[in-house]
Amino acid sequence: MSSVTESIGGTLSTSTPTLELQEIQATILRPRPAPYFGAHVLFRIDDARAGREFIRRLAPHIASATNWWNAATAWLEIGISYAGLEALGLPKESLESFPEAFRVGMAARAKQLGDDGVNDPEHWEAPFGTGQVHIGVSAFSDSEEKRRRALAVARKQYEGFSGVRVLAIQDFGAQPGDRNSLGYKDGIDQPAIEGSGVEPLPGYGRPIKAGEFILGYPGEAGIPLPMPRPDVLGRNGTYVGFRKYQTRVGAFNRFLRANGRTEEERELVAAKLVGRWRSGAPLTLAPDVDNPALGADPKRNNDFDYANDPHGRQIPFGAHIRRMNPRDTELTRLTDVNLHRLIRRGTTYGPPYDPNALSEQDDEVPRGAIFLFISAKAMASIEFLQQEWINDGNFIGVGNERDPIIGRQEEGATFTIPKEPVRRRIHGIQTFNVLKGGEYFFVPSMSALKWLADLK
Amino acid sequence: MATQTRTPTPTQSESARKGKEKIQQLRELFADAPELGRKALDNVIQELTAQATQPAPEALESAGRAGVRLGKVSELTIVVPFAPGGAKRLRAFLQMIGGNLSSGATRVGTLHDMRFVFLENDTKLLFATAYDGEWDAYIDDFATKIPDFLDIIDSAWEGWPGIRSPHAKDYLAKHQVAAEGWFVAHPDLTVAETARLKRNGKALDEFLDKISA
Repeated sequence: MSSVTESIGGTLSTSTPTLELQEIQATILRPRPAPYFGAHVLFRIDDARAGREFIRRLAPHIASATNWWNAATAWLEIGISYAGLEALGLPKESLESFPEAFRVGMAARAKQLGDDGVNDPEHWEAPFGTGQVHIGVSAFSDSEEKRRRALAVARKQYEGFSGVRVLAIQDFGAQPGDRNSLGYKDGIDQPAIEGSGVEPLPGYGRPIKAGEFILGYPGEAGIPLPMPRPDVLGRNGTYVGFRKYQTRVGAFNRFLRANGRTEEERELVAAKLVGRWRSGAPLTLAPDVDNPALGADPKRNNDFDYANDPHGRQIPFGAHIRRMNPRDTELTRLTDVNLHRLIRRGTTYGPPYDPNALSEQDDEVPRGAIFLFISAKAMASIEFLQQEWINDGNFIGVGNERDPIIGRQEEGATFTIPKEPVRRRIHGIQTFNVLKGGEYFFVPSMSALKWLADLK
Repeated sequence: MATQTRTPTPTQSESARKGKEKIQQLRELFADAPELGRKALDNVIQELTAQATQPAPEALESAGRAGVRLGKVSELTIVVPFAPGGAKRLRAFLQMIGGNLSSGATRVGTLHDMRFVFLENDTKLLFATAYDGEWDAYIDDFATKIPDFLDIIDSAWEGWPGIRSPHAKDYLAKHQVAAEGWFVAHPDLTVAETARLKRNGKALDEFLDKISA
C-alpha cells in the first residue's frame, strides 16, 4: 500500500488550517487515492426547478474538504457550467459577474486556447462544446466497490424525476502500477497551498497563497481575485477546466521506435520527453538509468531544482515537467512561476498503455485521460499555459517547439535534447494526445450549493 | 518551356480589383492636396498600383485587447495625460538613469524597444513599445515581480489605479491607440529567439574557425 503522504503531497501540519475547509469541496484539495476508481457524469437541466431540486438532494452527499487528507471513503464533487447556471435560473446580475471566458465556454475560446487542427472543437465528441453540459458530477474512490456505491448515491438523487437528464457517463480508473495512458507514473508535483493544514513534501516549493486556487482568500499579489456575486455564491468556490484527451498510443510507440534502436534508447527518449522515467524518477536525480525505488518514493521523487541542470542536459528545457513547472529555470521573459500553477486531477480511462501497440487502429482505441484543472482563475491560467508554455517554446528558449506530450503539433515538429558536445534534435513529434472535448465548471462551496437550491 | 502567360486566379483578380479601387480613392483624396503632394503621387503611382494589386504580404493582426501584431511582434502605443507633477517626476526618474531603460527593460525579456515622449508642454505622454506576444498574459507577473518600478513610472499618469489593481488592464487598454501603419524587419523573431540566434552564430563561427584552421 502506498503511504498517506503520497496521496496528500505532504505531512499534516501542527498548525490548524486557516481555510474554511467545511465550506470547500474536497476535490479541490484532496488528490486521487492510489489506486483510484471513479466516474464523471454529465447532466443537462431541462427544467430550472428540477435542476435546483437535484442540487438540493445531492448537496448533502458532496464531500467537503474537512479532513481532506483522509481519502478512505468515496466522495462526490459537483461543478456547474455557465449554461447550467443559466438553466438553474441564476439572477442576471449574478450571471454577469462571472468572467467572460467562463461565460462563453471552453469551445468558444478555442482561439485563445490554441485548440485548433485536430484539437478543434468541430472534432469534439458529443456532448462537449454543444452548450448542453450543465452539471458535471465526479465520483472518486479507492475501490471499485466504493465507486459503485458512490454512483448509486448520486443516481438516487436524479432518477425518477424529469427535468434533469444524463448526457454521458465516463468511467475512469488507475492503470496497473498507477500509470497514465502513455505508461508513466503521474500525479506527482501538485502545488502546495497555504493554510490547507499540510506541510509540503521536499521539492514542492513554498506553499502558494490560497487565493490562487480558492475564491475569497488573498492571492499571490496580496488581494483576492475577482469573485462572482453575491459573496455567498463566490466565496470558497473555484473553477475547473475539464479536458478530455485521447492518447494516440500507436503513434507514440512508432515515434519511440523511430528514435531508439534498443529498449534502453527508447526508454531514454521517452524519459527526455517528460523529464521523468516512466517510474516517476526525475532525470535530475537519475540522469542515465531509471531508479524505480526513487520514482516510487514520494519524499524523494520531486525533491529537486534545476540549479545543477542550467543547460538542460538532464531534463531538456522543452520536456513536459520542465515546461509545466519551470521551478528555478531562467526563463526568457519576466515570469512569476507561482502564478501559473494549477491543481490537476488526472483521471485515466480505457485500456492500459500497451508498449507493443504500433498500428494506426491502436490510435483510435478510446484510451486517455480526463484532466480536471483547478484554479480560482482556471480560464486565464489554462489559456496562458496553452499559449505560452504548451504550444510555444519561446518562454524557455526552445523557439517554436511545443510540449511533446500535450502540445498540438505542427507538421515537421522537433524536440531538442541538449547534450555534450552537440545537441540532438528529434523529428517526427506528433500530437500524441488529442483533445476530444472540454468544459469549464464553477465549483461552488457548500453554502453556495444551498443558495443555488433555494433560488426562486 | 513553361508558358509565358498566366491566368490570374480568382483571388488575384479580386485583389487587383480592390487595389485599383484603393488607388482611385487615393487619387480623389489627393485632388486637393498641395501641389508637391499631388506631383509625388503621380511620380510613384505606377509603383503603388503594382503594390496595391498584389495580395498583401502579411496582414496586421490584433494583439489581443488593443494594438496590432505582425508575426510574433506586437506594438503598444499609449497617449495619456500626466497627473499633476507627473511630468516632472517621470523626467527626473528617466534622467537619473540617463534616459536609458536597458537594465529594467532587459529583465522583462520581451521588449524590442520602448520610448517615452513628452507632448504638448508636458501635459501628455506618448509611450510606445514593440514587444513579443500579448502583454496582458503577463500583467499579473509584472504585478508580483516589478510592481514598484511600474508604479513609479505609471503613477505619473492621470488616474493610474496601480499595477496590482484589477483595473490596471482596463486602464491601459482604454488609453491605447492602435497603429494604422507599422513595419517590423523580422516579425518572426522574438527577443529570446534573437538572443539564441546570436549565440548560435557565435558557436558556428568558432566551429568554422576550428575546421578551417
